[in-house]
Amino acid sequence: MTTFTDPIGQHASADDPRIMLDNQIGAFEAVPPYPPRTEREAEFYSLRDGEMFINMGPQHPSTHGVLRVVLKINGEQVVDLDPVLGYLHRGVEKLCETSDYHHVISQVDPLEYVSSLFNEWAPVMAFEKLLDVEVPRRAEYIRVLTGELLRISSHALFQGWMALDLGGLTPILYSFIERDEIVEMLAAITGQRMLFNYFRIGGVNGDLNHEFMSRLGDWMSRAAKQHEANIGLLNENEIFVRRMRGIGKVDKDTALRMAVTGPNLRASGVAYDVRRAHPYSVYPELDFDIPVRGRGPEGGDSLDRYLLRLDEVRESLRIIDQCLHAMPDGPIMARLPRLLRPRPGRAWAAVEAPRGLYGTYAISDGTDQPFRMKIHDPSFVNLQLVGMLMRGNLIADTMAVMASLDPVMGGIDK
Amino acid sequence: MSSISRSLGHVSPAGKVIIPLLVVVFVVAPILTVLVGAVIGPWLLDLLGSNLGIVRFLVAITGVLLFSIPAAFIIIYMELKVIAYMNLRVGPNRVGPAGAAHSVVAGLKVLSKEDFSPANADRFVFTWAPVLVFLTAVMTFLVIPFGPGYVDPATGERVGGLVGQDFNIGLLYLFAVGGMTVVGLLLAGWSSFNKYSLLGGLRSAAQMVSYEIPLTLSVVGLILLAGTMSLTEIAHQQEGWFTSWFVFRQPLGALIFFIAATAEANRTPFDLTEADSEIVAGFATEYSGMRFGFLFFAEYVNVFIVSALMVTLFFGSWNAPVNVNDILNQLHIAPITVDLDPGSLGVGLLLLVMAVPVALTLLFGLPFYLTRSRMPAWQAVVIGFVLFNVVAMGIAFLLAYIGLVWLAGVIWFFIKSFMFVFVFVWMRGTFPRVRIDHLMGFAWKWLLPAALLNLFLTATAIVVVKVLHP
Repeated sequence: MTTFTDPIGQHASADDPRIMLDNQIGAFEAVPPYPPRTEREAEFYSLRDGEMFINMGPQHPSTHGVLRVVLKINGEQVVDLDPVLGYLHRGVEKLCETSDYHHVISQVDPLEYVSSLFNEWAPVMAFEKLLDVEVPRRAEYIRVLTGELLRISSHALFQGWMALDLGGLTPILYSFIERDEIVEMLAAITGQRMLFNYFRIGGVNGDLNHEFMSRLGDWMSRAAKQHEANIGLLNENEIFVRRMRGIGKVDKDTALRMAVTGPNLRASGVAYDVRRAHPYSVYPELDFDIPVRGRGPEGGDSLDRYLLRLDEVRESLRIIDQCLHAMPDGPIMARLPRLLRPRPGRAWAAVEAPRGLYGTYAISDGTDQPFRMKIHDPSFVNLQLVGMLMRGNLIADTMAVMASLDPVMGGIDK
Repeated sequence: MSSISRSLGHVSPAGKVIIPLLVVVFVVAPILTVLVGAVIGPWLLDLLGSNLGIVRFLVAITGVLLFSIPAAFIIIYMELKVIAYMNLRVGPNRVGPAGAAHSVVAGLKVLSKEDFSPANADRFVFTWAPVLVFLTAVMTFLVIPFGPGYVDPATGERVGGLVGQDFNIGLLYLFAVGGMTVVGLLLAGWSSFNKYSLLGGLRSAAQMVSYEIPLTLSVVGLILLAGTMSLTEIAHQQEGWFTSWFVFRQPLGALIFFIAATAEANRTPFDLTEADSEIVAGFATEYSGMRFGFLFFAEYVNVFIVSALMVTLFFGSWNAPVNVNDILNQLHIAPITVDLDPGSLGVGLLLLVMAVPVALTLLFGLPFYLTRSRMPAWQAVVIGFVLFNVVAMGIAFLLAYIGLVWLAGVIWFFIKSFMFVFVFVWMRGTFPRVRIDHLMGFAWKWLLPAALLNLFLTATAIVVVKVLHP
């Protein structure tokens, strides 16, 4: 019988099954079984008096997916923390390199699964730039219309999750009413409820049909009222407001330095919105405001981020209204060959997703597959704030901070 | 014999267990009971008769233990259903009518699960901590009066009363036993060998010890007013109209008591000990099976106890809000009394019992038979019989309500208690959770001073009244 020699030695990974077997305690320890690799790790994984580690995640009710955060706590206070990513990594960017341009759309669809149309929008725009395609105006209007619908759905869901993470059971189900109405509507034209796979290079996959329009009409007639009702459900709750006010403050400079985008940036007093800063699609023709909060020197807190998303829903309703009035007739797809071979080159396209700037950088080498694709996901960038914001707070605040940043792990781990 | 075995072959596995059980229950058990009773019966009766106090206590404890389970079941079902409707869901609707047996089946499921304890857990403490939590919850039932006793006409004294044990320090006993819950929760959190459990246990210790103080102080004013700590006595002092309820003399005390009791029962918005979005399930994280069942039951028993205490102390206990006898007196009508003495009715009662069901069944069935041409006679008779039963039960219930003081008391007690249970469930459906520092700050900075203020005002008022009306 040969003796087993450890080829990896002390530098075995935490996921190594042998380490799991050797672990006598049977619990998944927070401290990794290898010696610290960096100074930061050495400092983090040494405990002072009264401190202990606690593994929040990867299976935890309120980390919005499979994020693992190793918290170093002293009583109820979070002294330090170490987010560990990668539990949902599927190698989507690499997969895109082996799929043709049409196939990419379905590959990137499940990234940020709460608002999957935006995942398709940015790559599609990048490929259109590579191909020099002009998208028909009706298709652009449909993209904006469905996108804004999905933004409302995403923000409604955010409101519910926020309440759920702070211990309120009911609002999430009221949020899901909104979301359900919207995904049913979109299912009428796309055929799916979650990963729509709807946008195409040069247009969209299907025209607006009767069912969609009738559902949309029904919903629009009471959407604003329903939105106000959902706001009234939470915004005057003293417990809810007190738990978020003053928690997780991000000032303007920090937000810009950390490359935060989207509602989290606008809640820190910066009026940056891709729809206005780098206009795309038909947004220049539409009339809407960029809500900004947290203009003070201290920046915005969790409550600002929460309220800003509610403001955005109002603006999205305005956009949808204008889209419906200005919707032109015409084709929904540009005329394109079935097999796309764009000229060699590079293209960057960014859209304003519900969580911030969602960008795609695509390189073409002239074949029918992208040579390289880089996806810039807003949740990933925004998640950088977590370490800064949670430190020194209570354990309960970590939920308020995390929920207010609204990360989606599907996009973060890619 | 062979036919019996052949037919037994067709019986399902469950039936093969149930049939011998039925034989044991209906054949063997009665025979054994009669035999044993004949041999040791007189001696046993003698023994019990000479120790009536102990017997009463044992019966009360058993009754309280047995009562706690259905009470918890009802509250669990109520919570599932009420929160479901608040969430625009339907809730449990599979087992029993409208899902009413759901919590019973869930309880059976919990009983049949594996008795699991994690490695490195302190097995002894881990096993007994839930029992401690459950027992402390159930033992507080012992002093809660569910209904009044009879007034003996000869001596004018109150006899009996639906209370496990009427201590003259009942309230003190309640707080003493209720305060032991925290020990159980802390032990459960500590012994689980899980950091989430530990955090939950420590949170519960901090929270319950803090809220014990305003909870106790909030009723001191009431004790001053009532002059007693016996819950039965406090209940009797709130007889008559609803204006004599203590909530109108101690509104601040009632409010503080309600808030502090919510925290004591670990209910939303003070459910930090089992905050599912923060520390998974707190002290209950590692528990499963019946050990978890004990913790779960204890929580709902606590909800009922807190509601019952709220009713007993501040909302008139078993007394109806309206004093019917008082109204009748004002109208110069003699109070309604029903003297249920079958002896005075004699043969007439027998005839009544025999004739009335038949006559009323036909009477109630007749209109259906006459108005619906397609209805066969037997259907009309069935409908008549059902209607007769409904009416007869209603009349019997009404008579019992008027004639039996304790029954009326129990009905009112449970109506009021479950109204408070509903409030707790309602709060769970609507409130988010407070943060630990807000929670502690609220207890020490607001509730405690308010409770002291309430005590001060009450004491001053009592002195002033005594000086003005000596």
